[in-house]
Amino acid sequence: MEAMIEAEGLSKTFRVARRRPGLLGGLRSVVDPQVRIVHAVRDLSLHIERGEMIGLVGPNGAGKSTTIKMLTGILVPTGGRVRVAGLDPMRQRRELASRIGVVFGQRSQLWWDLPLIDSLRLLRHLYRVPEKRHSDNLARLRNMLDLDEFLDTPVRQLSLGQRMRGDLAAALLHDPELLYLDEPTIGLDVVAKARIREFLLAINAGQGVTVLLTTHDMDDVETLCPRMLIIDHGRKLYDGGVTEIRERFGGERMLIAVLDPVEIAAIPHDAQDQPVLSDLPEGVHQVQAEAPRIWLAFSRDSLPVHELVAWLGARYRLRDVTFQEPEIEDVIRRIYEEGLLLGRDEVSVQVS
Amino acid sequence: MVCNILADFRLYLHLIAMQLRAQLQYKLNVLIDIVTYLSVTCLEFVPVLIFFGPFPSLLGWTVGEVAMLYAITSMSFGLAELFGAGIDAFDETIRRGEFDRVLLRPVGPFMQVVSSEFRLRRLGRITQGLLVFIFALSLLPGLNWTALKLAVLPIAIVSGALVFIAILLLGATLCFWTIQTTELTNILTYGGREMLSYPLTIYNQGLQRFFLFVVPLAFGTYIPICYLLGRPLPFGLPVEIAFAAPLVALAFALIAGATWRFGVRHYQSTGS
Repeated sequence: MEAMIEAEGLSKTFRVARRRPGLLGGLRSVVDPQVRIVHAVRDLSLHIERGEMIGLVGPNGAGKSTTIKMLTGILVPTGGRVRVAGLDPMRQRRELASRIGVVFGQRSQLWWDLPLIDSLRLLRHLYRVPEKRHSDNLARLRNMLDLDEFLDTPVRQLSLGQRMRGDLAAALLHDPELLYLDEPTIGLDVVAKARIREFLLAINAGQGVTVLLTTHDMDDVETLCPRMLIIDHGRKLYDGGVTEIRERFGGERMLIAVLDPVEIAAIPHDAQDQPVLSDLPEGVHQVQAEAPRIWLAFSRDSLPVHELVAWLGARYRLRDVTFQEPEIEDVIRRIYEEGLLLGRDEVSVQVS
Repeated sequence: MVCNILADFRLYLHLIAMQLRAQLQYKLNVLIDIVTYLSVTCLEFVPVLIFFGPFPSLLGWTVGEVAMLYAITSMSFGLAELFGAGIDAFDETIRRGEFDRVLLRPVGPFMQVVSSEFRLRRLGRITQGLLVFIFALSLLPGLNWTALKLAVLPIAIVSGALVFIAILLLGATLCFWTIQTTELTNILTYGGREMLSYPLTIYNQGLQRFFLFVVPLAFGTYIPICYLLGRPLPFGLPVEIAFAAPLVALAFALIAGATWRFGVRHYQSTGS
């Protein structure tokens, strides 16, 4: 079977004009611009099969958006070859547009002042979807995303989570084979995130929609994508399974416990006059303390979260507990630190 | 091809209907907007009347004749403002990064930009044009109306509107390079409207040539009105050229369209 996305040696460089300071400098910049070349994406190769759900992660400015823009035909690559759904995104942009769906987490495609349903109806005309197919799809999406409660509400009055559900419906009404999601869970609360993830899993499994998502949230990738791509500075750092990367570089989760101020005074203190918890369970170690806060690092497999909380609760009067997931930046830092990018020829780490 | 144009037109109607529905949610607001705009534009006409207080004519043009020119220019500009609002607001579209979304849809970018806005309030200027037109008619009882003279009116309005829209499109195209160019476009749109509201011959030859042969706004309003009033044209142009106005306007619009397509391609290679 033919691949959904196939890119080889994709690269994009931008020429950025730099402004000189001051009025005279500004004038000089017009006549004699100082141009800086920015390599947004370098030599990126991708192969994504139909039906895959794949995460594209990387820090800000890594080249994620540029990559997606080249895959959709918004941007013309400086070099390389790319085919999406068997089409050339540059030459056949409009044809491709009717076969893909795109959701930008930060930018809605819905009409701000109109009820959600109006936008969803209008999209039928924009995508020239036959009426029957459109109404079937709409009925299905309304049901899956529970849109009915706010279908008649103007989009500007929707909560972020509701708006995202509306945007997902909008992107899927024309039965795209491929769905690009740019930060689909950004700013959402835990419940809304879970709901979006559940939906994405359902359309991937049920309709066989190929999903490519960019995110900052490692949890998104872990719950959704069997495979992930990490890019940084426009280069592919990693292409492979999510579990492997978690095991190798995933690092530890952090628990931040707030203890009772009176009680904490009774705990033994170290040389810096900060409290030290003794005989912690195996695999857990204290990283930092700033009374009444204590940072505990623990690896995912050493013990389940609830057991650690229970262990703490049994010994101390807990005021509050929060968790910090390892950030993608940490993972990337570890990849660099562990020196996995040795030779020039071994830019990417392949785990098969 | 024909089928596509028809589909595009239907889509345009859908998108505009959507805009109207959104605006009509606040009916009183729309009404106040239109009335305010009408008042402002009517005030703009007052200096013309004041001028004709002490002076009986402007290079041989009477107050009624200038009012006729003014009315037609107003109507065509009003139409351009109404239908070209989306193009006019294009710098916003670019700045907010919404042009990416435009490129992600299977419909042409121009079509989407044109239908992205429709301002009912702009009806104010068209109404002003109509009022000034009635005023001009009352002062010009001696016009011998013929079928051709009647036909030249819609020709003038539509061609003028087309040239104004093409200017807006050229301005929008500049946004691909400079992000913000409203001022530059305003010189040609508002400035052009203001200047073309008076007989072209009051300006120096350079400006006359500019509005005839570079940005052919004069074809939109001045030349057809000269035909209507039976006045000779500058540079010895035959007055029948009025009927070529739609062709000239179309040619100018096609050039603007080609520039626009070039701009879209530039955007796709720079993404800025």
